[in-house]
Amino acid sequence: MGKSILHTKTAPDRAYLRNHSAARGSGAPPSKRHVSKKSKTKEKKKFKFMSIGLGIDMPFLIFVLLLLGVGILMMFSASYPTAYSKTGDSFYYLKRQAIFAVVGVGAMIGLSYVNYRVFYRFAKVFLALSFVALIIVLFMPSSTGVRRWIGVGSFTIQASEITKFCLIVFFAYWGTKYADKMQYVKYSFLPGMAVFAGTALLLVLEPHYSCIVIVFLLILIMLFLAGMPIKYFLVIIGGAVVAFFIALATGLLGYAMTRMDGWGQALEYTTEEMWQTTWQTRNSLYAIGSGGIWGLGLGQSLQKHLYLPEPQNDFVYAIVCEELGLIGAIVILALFGLLVFRGVMISRNAKDNFGKLLSCGLVAQVGLQVILNILVITDWLPNTGISLPFFSYGGSSLIMLLAQMGIVLSVSRTSNLEKV
Amino acid sequence: MAKGINQSFRSRSAWLLIIILVIGFGAAACRLGYLQIFKASELSQKATAQQLTDTTLSAKRGTIYDRNREVLAESATVWRVVLAPVHLETDEERRVVAKGLSEILDIDEETIFEKSKQSSYYVEIKRQIETDTREKILEFSEKLSDEYDINGNAVYLLDDYKRYYHKNSLASAVIGFTGSDDQGLSGIEYQYDDILTGTPGRLVTATNSVGTEMPFKYSQNIDAIGGSSLVLTIDSHIQAIVEKYLQEGIEDHGVYNRAVSIVMDVNNGEVLAMASVGGFDLNDPFTLPEEIMSEIAKLPEKERGQAESNELSKMWRNKAVSDTYYPGSVFKMFTAAMAVEEGLVTDNSTFYCPGYYVVDGVSMGCHYTSGHGTQNFRDCIKNSCNPAFMQIGELVGKGRFYKYYQAFGFSEKTGIDLPGEADDIFFSEDGSMLNVNLATASFGQNFAITPIQMATAVCSIANGGYIVQPHVVSQILDEDGNVEKTISTDVKRQAISSETAAHIADILEENAISGSGKNGYVAGYRVAGKTGTSEKKVDLNGDGVQDYIASFCGFAPAENAEVVCLVFFDTPTGAAYYGSQVAAPVFAKIMAEVLPYLEVATQYTEEEIESLDKTTGNYVGMSVSEAVTAIENEGFTVTVKGDGEKVLAQVPRGAMTIPQGGNVVLYTDEESAKEQVEVPDFKGYSVSDVNYLASVSNVNVSITGATNSGLSYASSQSVEPGTKVSPGTVITVAFTAGGLND
Repeated sequence: MGKSILHTKTAPDRAYLRNHSAARGSGAPPSKRHVSKKSKTKEKKKFKFMSIGLGIDMPFLIFVLLLLGVGILMMFSASYPTAYSKTGDSFYYLKRQAIFAVVGVGAMIGLSYVNYRVFYRFAKVFLALSFVALIIVLFMPSSTGVRRWIGVGSFTIQASEITKFCLIVFFAYWGTKYADKMQYVKYSFLPGMAVFAGTALLLVLEPHYSCIVIVFLLILIMLFLAGMPIKYFLVIIGGAVVAFFIALATGLLGYAMTRMDGWGQALEYTTEEMWQTTWQTRNSLYAIGSGGIWGLGLGQSLQKHLYLPEPQNDFVYAIVCEELGLIGAIVILALFGLLVFRGVMISRNAKDNFGKLLSCGLVAQVGLQVILNILVITDWLPNTGISLPFFSYGGSSLIMLLAQMGIVLSVSRTSNLEKV
Repeated sequence: MAKGINQSFRSRSAWLLIIILVIGFGAAACRLGYLQIFKASELSQKATAQQLTDTTLSAKRGTIYDRNREVLAESATVWRVVLAPVHLETDEERRVVAKGLSEILDIDEETIFEKSKQSSYYVEIKRQIETDTREKILEFSEKLSDEYDINGNAVYLLDDYKRYYHKNSLASAVIGFTGSDDQGLSGIEYQYDDILTGTPGRLVTATNSVGTEMPFKYSQNIDAIGGSSLVLTIDSHIQAIVEKYLQEGIEDHGVYNRAVSIVMDVNNGEVLAMASVGGFDLNDPFTLPEEIMSEIAKLPEKERGQAESNELSKMWRNKAVSDTYYPGSVFKMFTAAMAVEEGLVTDNSTFYCPGYYVVDGVSMGCHYTSGHGTQNFRDCIKNSCNPAFMQIGELVGKGRFYKYYQAFGFSEKTGIDLPGEADDIFFSEDGSMLNVNLATASFGQNFAITPIQMATAVCSIANGGYIVQPHVVSQILDEDGNVEKTISTDVKRQAISSETAAHIADILEENAISGSGKNGYVAGYRVAGKTGTSEKKVDLNGDGVQDYIASFCGFAPAENAEVVCLVFFDTPTGAAYYGSQVAAPVFAKIMAEVLPYLEVATQYTEEEIESLDKTTGNYVGMSVSEAVTAIENEGFTVTVKGDGEKVLAQVPRGAMTIPQGGNVVLYTDEESAKEQVEVPDFKGYSVSDVNYLASVSNVNVSITGATNSGLSYASSQSVEPGTKVSPGTVITVAFTAGGLND
């Protein structure tokens, strides 16, 4: 599968090298399946125009670009009335998102050439970076009392975006390094919970509760993939439930609660305050329901005409449902599903454990965000600000996302997955 | 080891995939499917409802006509001034708008300014503005956009309707009025609100959440459908007659708690007039008369609101259907009818009245305390003798009394198409009615019915025993004036036989000629009727004197009757309080005008023909000698004024009715025409005295009311005493029979 970059680098981490050589060693007598696959690959190689470069996974790239294209198109469709109303320029969000997409695709392609093992080497730095970002953000000026953005000039990024990525990298590293010690609390459960506790504490200060949930789930996924015994999960889940109720009882959820109050009752008028609180969710439901099975047609959404606030952000998918109907929504959901599926396939066939964990964590994050986003816009989860990958407007997060997809592509270069 | 990890990852990543794709994505897809398939119509309707800016177009409320299609109530277009403060961005803009509107509409500037701070598209500033104000608002709105660059939609107008009641207070309790939202609040307006209201139209435009129209989609205009119109059975002319005389009666007798009259077609239950006087101006129903307001102003401040609303509901009350009263002696006609129908009495049956009657040890007196002595059945009615009726009631017995009470419709609401009809108050059928109760009920005391029940029951005496359905609406017309529905005139049942009814009617006619009801007599129309004076349980005006209701109910002609008229004065406070003194003369005056208006054929007795008024001819232009001959031939006397040869003018003018032997004055020169005489005060004089006074004063009198009694006296005159009039002017003098109790 091409020339391994591995040998050209001097990996300082012995554990990593050990693992890696072990993997290679064990892989020396390849299974018949591998052989046949390899031979097939070889046979078809000359016909694969898509297998450019050093063999990135074309289907994955296609799914990414497809989602990106559809995402930008739908984001534009959803946002132009709002854009016009706010800025006088219908293309305001489209222009910016397009630029971000170009930058992001560039970053993706670039990163796909970078040996992902560099993240292994700097994993601890990334963990530190995560905390630094979460601390810096607390000192950023804020008008609303909620501090989530780190800004340098006109470039801003959500600290949580950095955190999510950094934690995936860190736990991929950790799971690789202590792969054989995962059954010990000290190497799996405790570090996982320690990192989570620290991160959660800082996120509470922002506050950014939905991110706590995402981080929590991401860490669980990473530990799960790394091989932490199932019994610990039961403990963690039990602990999470207890923690939730403690938070509930102590009123720590304050900010989120005002949003959760309206959770599940967006359609029923109780008080004027609640009616206003649930405005966005209600209009999201209106949009989704209006779409019906076949949708109103591309661009035909009525709810985007300032009824659904900020349709370019978290609720873009509601407009997708309205315009493209259940059919369109399911097709897009299926595209995400294919992306995740392909991503996991890449990770399963990655050459080394770090690659497996890293890429699997990154695509799992995409899948997780998709699920949470849809459950939020359909009022099954409280409205707490979870964006939809590729669709929601936002430069830094789009660039981050594409960069992460680039890392998955980088892993795919080492993957012995059959290239279509 | 590594292989183990690899294996572990293979299975765990597969599990992860399953969790994400099957459980996670599956849940999301199911949720979407549920919302987009099963909840789609509900949600899209809600979405549509909010996306469409729905401006209600008021529907024009139907018109209310009287039976001759004279308009009683009508809606006309006016406008509503609406502010859309969302278009105002700065306080300066708000100030400009508030100041401008305040000047045009005469509303406090600060109030408008506060309202303009809302972020809304619809803040109502003033309703029901008329054309001139509308012009000013339009001008102002233009000025806003031209001079201040304020969105022209910030101030706009919407169509509105205003209700106009052309006849002001006429039939106010029946017609009723509407509230600020065009909803009927009382009377016909309330009862037929659904029919009058119509269907509001809608101007539907797809707009975004800030109200600007969306770049596509639709704007749909659903026209308002005007309400249906109503044709009442009420005749404005009769209503006006009735109200005029009720008002007169109220003033003459210091009536404390208003007066009621119902004029009804005996055969089909059409209500020709229904009045509760004093009424109120339907165009201004919330304003109490000044004297009441000044009374209220004397109260402690916290009681004023309550007092005012009490007074208002009293003023709006349709006493004809909402009040219950002891029917008093008027009810005797029903007790009599029961006895006749059951064959218990004949005209020759006699009843003895020593001035009282004892039932179960309770002695009850007659109004004629020395007693009527022995009287036959007819005289019992004519004398309105209570002891006799207690005996008749005894003959009838409780069971039958109750049966007929129900048959005449007193035990149920008449079902007239007016709101607020009261229930009667009577003994229940369970035997709780004592003999004493029966005795008092026989002469109409100690139970309460509504005036409309009484009028309906009297109809049955007049029409051969049939209980008809009283109603005030005869037709419902659609928006274009086509008849949508004609109200059928139901006969509910026959209460008594035609023979009995005719028998009672005959006695009542005699009663109106020579009995207690003779003040209700109208020459030439064979009026039948019965007086009633009922005691009231409460001393309403708190003067410590027993309160009465003076009533009269009768019909004409006695045979083949056409109309029933009930007159009812609640608590007269003057010297006279008997039905015969207070209500009967008013009944007579009403009938005397209503019957000719209805072109009821006159049937004079010979005696009446002799004293019948005759119509003057037109003699102007004739030579004096010709005119004198003509006048004398017609049975008038003549006075010639001036020295001219030709008649220049005459008083009374041609085609006036004056009594036979009346004086016609002819003027033959300019000078003489200026001569005037003073009208004397006729009140209190007998018929012969009035005639004498008239002849010496050189005026003519036309006599109405009860003159066939030695005790008649003039009770009112059409021209006030002391007024200067031309000689020969006809003055109508109404007579009332004295010496009548009841």
